[in-house]
Amino acid sequence: MSKKLGLSDIYSVAVYGIKARKGRSIMTSIGIGIGIAAIVSVIGISASGKADLIATLESLGTNLIKASPTSGFFGTQDDLPEGVLGMVERIGPVEEVTSTTQTDLLVRRSDFISELEGGGISVIVTNPELLDVVGGNLVDGRFIESGLGSLPVATLGSVTANRLGIKNLDTPTKILINNEWFGVIGILEKLSIHPDLDRSVFIGYKVAKDLFDIDSEPSTIYLRANPTYVEDVVDVLAPTMNPENPDQVEVSRPSDALEAQQAAEEAFTSLLLGLGSVALLVGGVAIANVMVMSVLERRMEIGVRRSIGATRSEIRTQFLLESILLAGLGGFLGVLLGAGITVGYTRYADITFSIPVWQVLGAILLALIIGALAGLYPAIRASKIQPAEAVRS
Amino acid sequence: MNKNNTVISLNRVSKTYEGPPPVKAIKSVSIDIHDGEFVAILGESGSGKTTLLNIIGLLDGVSKGKVYIDGQDTTSLTDNQLSRLRGEKIGFIFQSFFLLPGLTAQENVAEGLLYQGIERKTRMDKAAKVLKQVKLGDRLGHLPRELSGGQQQRVAIARALVQNPSYILADEPTGNLDKESGQNILDILKELNNNGKTVVMITHNRDHAKAFKRTITLTDGEVVL
Repeated sequence: MSKKLGLSDIYSVAVYGIKARKGRSIMTSIGIGIGIAAIVSVIGISASGKADLIATLESLGTNLIKASPTSGFFGTQDDLPEGVLGMVERIGPVEEVTSTTQTDLLVRRSDFISELEGGGISVIVTNPELLDVVGGNLVDGRFIESGLGSLPVATLGSVTANRLGIKNLDTPTKILINNEWFGVIGILEKLSIHPDLDRSVFIGYKVAKDLFDIDSEPSTIYLRANPTYVEDVVDVLAPTMNPENPDQVEVSRPSDALEAQQAAEEAFTSLLLGLGSVALLVGGVAIANVMVMSVLERRMEIGVRRSIGATRSEIRTQFLLESILLAGLGGFLGVLLGAGITVGYTRYADITFSIPVWQVLGAILLALIIGALAGLYPAIRASKIQPAEAVRS
Repeated sequence: MNKNNTVISLNRVSKTYEGPPPVKAIKSVSIDIHDGEFVAILGESGSGKTTLLNIIGLLDGVSKGKVYIDGQDTTSLTDNQLSRLRGEKIGFIFQSFFLLPGLTAQENVAEGLLYQGIERKTRMDKAAKVLKQVKLGDRLGHLPRELSGGQQQRVAIARALVQNPSYILADEPTGNLDKESGQNILDILKELNNNGKTVVMITHNRDHAKAFKRTITLTDGEVVL
């Protein structure tokens, strides 16, 4: 009894079937290709987005807590009780705390702009600590400082700077708050999770009191708690700030919003992955279909191979491997397409490109497994064709 | 002739296709074919020719009797053993050539050695040599569709020959060819036989059968003496 076929021979026999029908082979593998492309791009895009989201979460920290009065019945905001900052500071795990006071001051680029055109920018009176507490960074200049006293200077949020057309502080720049000129001393970077702060102009409490007679009653407080006790601080914060009406204080963790966003994206990703899997399944069925047809068409080939010495298992291996290779071809094309889509999307959305290699390998492996499953039945069928029947012309 | 060089020996072989209704295709046929013989098995359609071809070609089993190839009893062999035996002992030539359409002439011939565990380079070298023998040395790289019917059948003969089989088993090899090409194929088979190869051809064409040294006529599943 002669020895069995070598690996390269087994491979070339399987490749023969694919190469002899190139057009059909490519069409057949498209189904798997689309499925894999969908899976790879979903994995890639979600991994790329997640990397950015996690970076934001890390830079932000999950121990930032924001507390503000609940909106009144007509949308008006109640003020927080006096001395609230001191009360909050006395909560053990609170590490840093600062407050802001919302104003209805009008911001304009210059006095040529009508007072009616405010542009949705608000003036927030705050302490120098705010920058640290919310984890902000400066594009240019500096944040308001306590030493500035009643000097009319302001730091701009990123959206504010953009709307006022101030890109940097290379030349001295002034803006008009109500009817007082303020020098711009700094511009903040975008604070991804505080869109309200991005749209603000920050000025100090002293200058606010001197020029606009604004009291230091805080409307919002921001604090950093010891990460271990964040939940506890959240629980006691409202009763501490307003013991009589704790329900009038709204406590939130900005990181919660991000985490919710992340969870939502993950749910969406699962849905897309599910759809990709369905595409894979359909692709697998398509391969099985074509292989069954192929076996019927290639009875002659099977007959010839059996008559020149092929055993049943060699015929079975040939068709099984052919099916696996078809799926592998689809998987390969799918990975390329999926990676391309991911690159395109990350460029478009301006997020960091990231594709987890093991997941891509897993996707290809999945394609190969589906190819094997799809090829199993046709291959067994091919091997069961009687040689005497196969060579009957 | 002694038993040692009996290539094919059928000993009271019967083949019944299970019905319904059961068909007795071959009824107690005994044939001995010796080394170097040039035999035509002649029969009308329905005479059991194809069944006999399948049995001699080890493509199908028998219902009764024994089949010996080179003195070896094949009736108790497994499917795998039969497959290997076909590859080693029998060179098939089919009416419709049965070349693989995607392979060149040389590759088609080399395929004849594929399942014998011979490496590709040796296969291709041997294939080129045998193709020269059937006067297709200048057609090695041609695909079957680029060859005439006669040339395709010569490629098929080369594929059978490259295995260096104990016997060539040809099933109506001229059936799909014009008269001239058909004659050409017969001449090649005759030349192979002159060089010592055992050739068994199955045909319904009495004119072609005349060229053979021995004719076995089959009628209604039985050998007519």
